[in-house]
Amino acid sequence: MATVGELSDPYANFMRTPRRGASCCATCMTFVEPAYQRCYLCSSNQRWLTAVLPISYAERSGQLHTNLAGYKRWPPAIAARTRLQLAAVLWRFLLGHESCLATAAEIDRFDLVTTVPSSDAARDEHHPLRTIVGQIAEPTRDRYERVLRRSTIAVEERGGDPRRFTAVRSLAGERVLLIDDTWTTGARAQTAAAALLAAGASTVAALVIGRFINPKYADNAARLAEVPRTFSWEMCGLHAP
Amino acid sequence: MFVATTVNHTSPNLETAALIALLRAPGARWQQIADDVEEAGSARQVLDRGPTGEQASMFGEGAASEDLTAHIADLGAWAREGMSVLTVLDADYPENLRTVYDRPPLIFVAGDLCPEDSRSVAVVGTRRPTGDGITRARRIAHHLAASGYTVASGLATGIDTTAHTAALEVGGRTVAVIGTGLRRAYPRENAGLQARIAKEGAVISQFLPDAPPTRRSFPMRNGVMSGLALATVVVEAGEISGSRMQARLALQHNRPVFLLRSLLEHDWAASMERRPGVYVVDEPEQITEAIQRLTSTALPTA
Repeated sequence: MATVGELSDPYANFMRTPRRGASCCATCMTFVEPAYQRCYLCSSNQRWLTAVLPISYAERSGQLHTNLAGYKRWPPAIAARTRLQLAAVLWRFLLGHESCLATAAEIDRFDLVTTVPSSDAARDEHHPLRTIVGQIAEPTRDRYERVLRRSTIAVEERGGDPRRFTAVRSLAGERVLLIDDTWTTGARAQTAAAALLAAGASTVAALVIGRFINPKYADNAARLAEVPRTFSWEMCGLHAP
Repeated sequence: MFVATTVNHTSPNLETAALIALLRAPGARWQQIADDVEEAGSARQVLDRGPTGEQASMFGEGAASEDLTAHIADLGAWAREGMSVLTVLDADYPENLRTVYDRPPLIFVAGDLCPEDSRSVAVVGTRRPTGDGITRARRIAHHLAASGYTVASGLATGIDTTAHTAALEVGGRTVAVIGTGLRRAYPRENAGLQARIAKEGAVISQFLPDAPPTRRSFPMRNGVMSGLALATVVVEAGEISGSRMQARLALQHNRPVFLLRSLLEHDWAASMERRPGVYVVDEPEQITEAIQRLTSTALPTA
């Protein structure tokens, strides 16, 4: 039986701590022109999340992005192995930095942990992210509850329509940690937060494993090259230099 | 016959031929092709989309239905020589290899890969080993084979040859990943061993069967070997070596690297020792113990 440290260690070889501050989106930490505080999507869509923390950048077709897509569709043995590794990454990171995210959300702790449902209803029945967050990772499993469902209202898949998801119960006053594997446009996480707030949650913050970066977009490739190819478990995007 | 009248998107043969066509196109970028084909679930579809970007206008819309006849004829010829082709669309494409970001879109196989080969460990090292190096490589290969692991190596002279033959001499499985096409043998003196491994295990190449050895092909081969295996063991290797390159690639591939303690006299190994996922070992048992822990499905402990 491996330890969380041993299973998560190798990820430091290809994860990269996101940056904060000038030239990075104040919400999702993707790269922006220095004149802007937020990326186009985070500034044009409604922001329901109080704070967002990606563990790492996930460059398109890099190893982290490959794993984040693969753990949902690879053959069973290799998918199971990857699931344990990703759970270990989440586990270790939360032990070190959940409090950083709570501080950014101006609370002292999260009462409830939940995940963003899959965009595919059939796949959502056995979503491996729920296994990771709800059953494997120690920092989350005792607070985990599947409170979000896709609503029956048809919404534009990439849009910011807050009716996309609905909560299955009242969340009066609860402070919710929302977890997803990948942040691409942020539309799904933001609308999930909208549904949680509509159910009475007092605040919602998101932790995602990978902040997707397409190196072909704008000058992303050059910007990514400026981010050190190192990862330290001691550091997070909220405290990055 | 195979003339492209009605195209069946589900025909594996046509899919493989379409993938070969994509790879043979000038300026083909392998990783991009692997990603695109896996995402679309069809090489035909990617081929039909035609060249993207600047080239698109030169070919116009209809360049789509490229004639696959020649590629299909090649597939037939390769099959008659005992070579099979596995693409990322095939269920039996090696599962470890599927999970690395720079997996090749297809591989050629002489012999048979079996499901147990997902328990492969790569054993690599210098072409000019010391006596100690050879002894250590043999002990490691013997132990891996006896523990039910397939020994993967690169069919070079020296440590690679020792690892393959040691696995065979105890009746274990071995797989060779080579830096040329399957019709070639490099170095030539290993042609006999190559034929034997094809018969008793499998020889794998990501290159077209006639591809000659080049400066780039060997490091590329090291990437495929790393991806195919659960872990890479470096027995003996100097500052400038394919083995050192493979160790670096293995870490990028989310695979553990085992360095024999004797390697630490080299600066490269001493500095790599500090990287996460690197194990310095004295005994072969330490390798299998770590791999067992890392591949266990038991819940991790804090």
